[in-house]
Amino acid sequence: MFSHRTRRRRPTEKDFSPMVLVKRLRLALLISCLCGAAAMPARAAEVPQRGGSVIIAMDPAGLSILNTELTSLSPALYIADVWADGLMARDAAGKRIPHIATSWSVSDDGKTYTFNLRKGLKWSDGQPFSSADVVFTLTQFAKFNTYLSKIVPLIAKVEAPDEATVVIGLSQPLAAALDLFDKENFPLMPKHIYEGTDIPTNPANRKPVGLGPFMFESWEQGRSLSFVRNPYYWDQPKPYLDKLLVALIPNAQQLLNALIQGEVDWVQLDFSQIQRAQEAAKNGKIKVIKIEVNAPERSSLDFNMRRAPMSDVKVRQALFLATDRNRINADAYRGLAFSATSAIPEQFKELNDPSVNYDKLYPFDPQKAAALLDEAGYKMQDGKRFSVELTYIATSPFDAIAKSLAAQWKEIGVDVRLSGLDSQIWLDKVYRKNDFDISLISLTGRSDPTLGVDRSFICNDAHVPYTNPTGYCNRDLDRIAAQASASPTAERRALYKQYEEIVARDLNEITLTNAPTYNAVATKFKNLDAQFDISFNEHPNWAEAWLPEDAR
Amino acid sequence: MVAVVFLVFGMLQLTPGDPVQAMVGQYPVPPEFRAAIERHYHLNDPFVSRLWQYFANLAHGDLGFSFQMQRPVTELILERAPRTLILAASGFLTGIPIGLAVGLLSAASQNPHVDRFWTTTTLIAYAIPGFWLGQLLVILFAMQLGWFPTQGMAPLVSRASGFGWLLERARYLALPAITYAIYEATRVARLMRANVIETLGQGYIVTARAKGLSRGAIVRRHVLRNSSLPVVTIMGYAFGVAMGGAVLIETVFSWPGIGLLLIEAIRARDNQVVVGVVLFVSLAVILMNLIVDLIYCALDPRIRTGS
Repeated sequence: MFSHRTRRRRPTEKDFSPMVLVKRLRLALLISCLCGAAAMPARAAEVPQRGGSVIIAMDPAGLSILNTELTSLSPALYIADVWADGLMARDAAGKRIPHIATSWSVSDDGKTYTFNLRKGLKWSDGQPFSSADVVFTLTQFAKFNTYLSKIVPLIAKVEAPDEATVVIGLSQPLAAALDLFDKENFPLMPKHIYEGTDIPTNPANRKPVGLGPFMFESWEQGRSLSFVRNPYYWDQPKPYLDKLLVALIPNAQQLLNALIQGEVDWVQLDFSQIQRAQEAAKNGKIKVIKIEVNAPERSSLDFNMRRAPMSDVKVRQALFLATDRNRINADAYRGLAFSATSAIPEQFKELNDPSVNYDKLYPFDPQKAAALLDEAGYKMQDGKRFSVELTYIATSPFDAIAKSLAAQWKEIGVDVRLSGLDSQIWLDKVYRKNDFDISLISLTGRSDPTLGVDRSFICNDAHVPYTNPTGYCNRDLDRIAAQASASPTAERRALYKQYEEIVARDLNEITLTNAPTYNAVATKFKNLDAQFDISFNEHPNWAEAWLPEDAR
Repeated sequence: MVAVVFLVFGMLQLTPGDPVQAMVGQYPVPPEFRAAIERHYHLNDPFVSRLWQYFANLAHGDLGFSFQMQRPVTELILERAPRTLILAASGFLTGIPIGLAVGLLSAASQNPHVDRFWTTTTLIAYAIPGFWLGQLLVILFAMQLGWFPTQGMAPLVSRASGFGWLLERARYLALPAITYAIYEATRVARLMRANVIETLGQGYIVTARAKGLSRGAIVRRHVLRNSSLPVVTIMGYAFGVAMGGAVLIETVFSWPGIGLLLIEAIRARDNQVVVGVVLFVSLAVILMNLIVDLIYCALDPRIRTGS
């Protein structure tokens, strides 16, 4: 409505007198100093500083070697991200990002993989790294690496045309090949340490030399491991922290207690502790981080199809219909998981076909389940139809799932005998002796169905552990799985749809829940967003995080 | 000792488990890896051959080699035993005097309310499982009050030295030692109370009263020593067993002693360590029984006279 304009005064000669100029200069200096001082703390907070240490904590159950070319144990995998590195990694969205390889290409026929490596790198012991190390790792370690079992028979050639190039030739395409060459499945190993030795028993498996941000210092059995900054790390000036310590705490509750009290700085959360961690995070000293694209972790029931009544598909279907998976999610996962919709995990968006959906095929319907059991010849007699043993490793979350299932199935007259066991006894009972009715397990699907899902459904004549223990063997499904593993992404979805349909029909295994991964970390560290820019089976490598001086 | 080795070896042979699978985790073991590990650590040698080899090594004081920890078992036990000794000794040295005092007070008090109070209190405390009690103490003294650390034997990063260093360690020892002490104190108190009541009914106590001795003098001179003898026997045996580590207390507090070593070895099916720890505990029990006999001699003049 009103406009107010100030007219600028014309400068006079007086304004340029030496006294006035000096005064103005002083004022300008004062203002700039004040502004600079005010801006300084903010700017310093943004600039990463070197120094300080981080204590990560974990249950060391079974930890005997650190070399993840030879073990898939969780504590070894958490620690490997710290000292080892590989050709590629993944960001939070699941996209591949360069690490030791700066770029890579795949031939049109999907059989030849060329990796261009960083030049001038050194191992943590100061010895030079070259393409010969990559060739050595693949040719000498692959036969010992459980993840690479799919690709080992397909490797036709491994060549290093120069110091910074590696060419791998396969006899036939493998869609998951690039996944297998990432740092989680294929950490690079130094040729100068392992050449000419008995690799599985080499002492370096416990005192590793790697390309990761930290280098091994010591291991105090039962208590801690110590790592210091690797001065030869490829991504200088990272890591910023001087030291990384691993606290070995064999108890999920104590792990979180230690984090809340500031005794340690990072833990991967057990489901029994997530709610408590979220509650504790309200004080601002810790933060709970959900890994958005995680490796599917799916609780499943394996039916022993060699035995009645599990051999009858109607019984398996009835048990699925009688299972309220939302209740299992609430009872065992505090509502943080979700019901799995088919054999192919939802994380594999390009491969999972939503038209096959367990929620529609087998919605929770105890009445329909009871009718199906009647039809199968298992009529209710004295409040009971039949009795089954449900066997599982007696730990979280299996205890809670098993109890929830027993309560639910009782409603339709199925008496469940709970058999919570030591992991080794359970392994022997389920996979070696096949002496079980129903087995409860949670397995990781890793980053591709070929790597983590097929093992639940393919024929397993040799009784290989952690591979389909049900006695189910469908050669058609095996053929589709093999075909899907060798096809381009565009063709894989159609094949996996068939795969999902067969599994949904035959139900040798029913998948209950798909659980996310949660980390909890102390907020005193800076740059945590970059530190947790990870997905699938990755864990923080602590190269990005740094500690302000006042937080040390 | 030979029988112990034979028994434990035999039982482990019958227990299902695959140490190589335990090394690899929840994925199939590649055959080449299995072959290399089994060959190197003689895991597939016949039972008799492994047993014979074990005895041959034992004759030289060698308890075998841990394939999981890649170290001689003797070295592992010698590293962990002092930690368990510190924990057990702290628990016993605190718990036993308290137990003796409570037992004596409870039995010798002329006020029935005092006896009822202590009997009920010790019964409740005795009934609480050690691991649960440990967790309660952690919640109260570590999580709520922040007086003590939640777990561990010492901080992983420390700048303390001298007395500060000692104080820092004492803070870590406090909660596991208190858990241990409460359990031992209640056990001793119950035992002591029963013994004191029995002793107070003896003829020589009546004689002492008839001689005009005060109640305090009777308790000091005649009751305390005589009632303590059975406690010494039980505590001596308990201390020997405790050297095997209070498995649950060590697990709750992540105290890296013998108990935690045993748990780690069982999880990994590291049988040489399991046998070694059992042997060590047997030896500790035998040794403690010997020490108890010597203490008995000191406490009971009848035994000295007999010898």
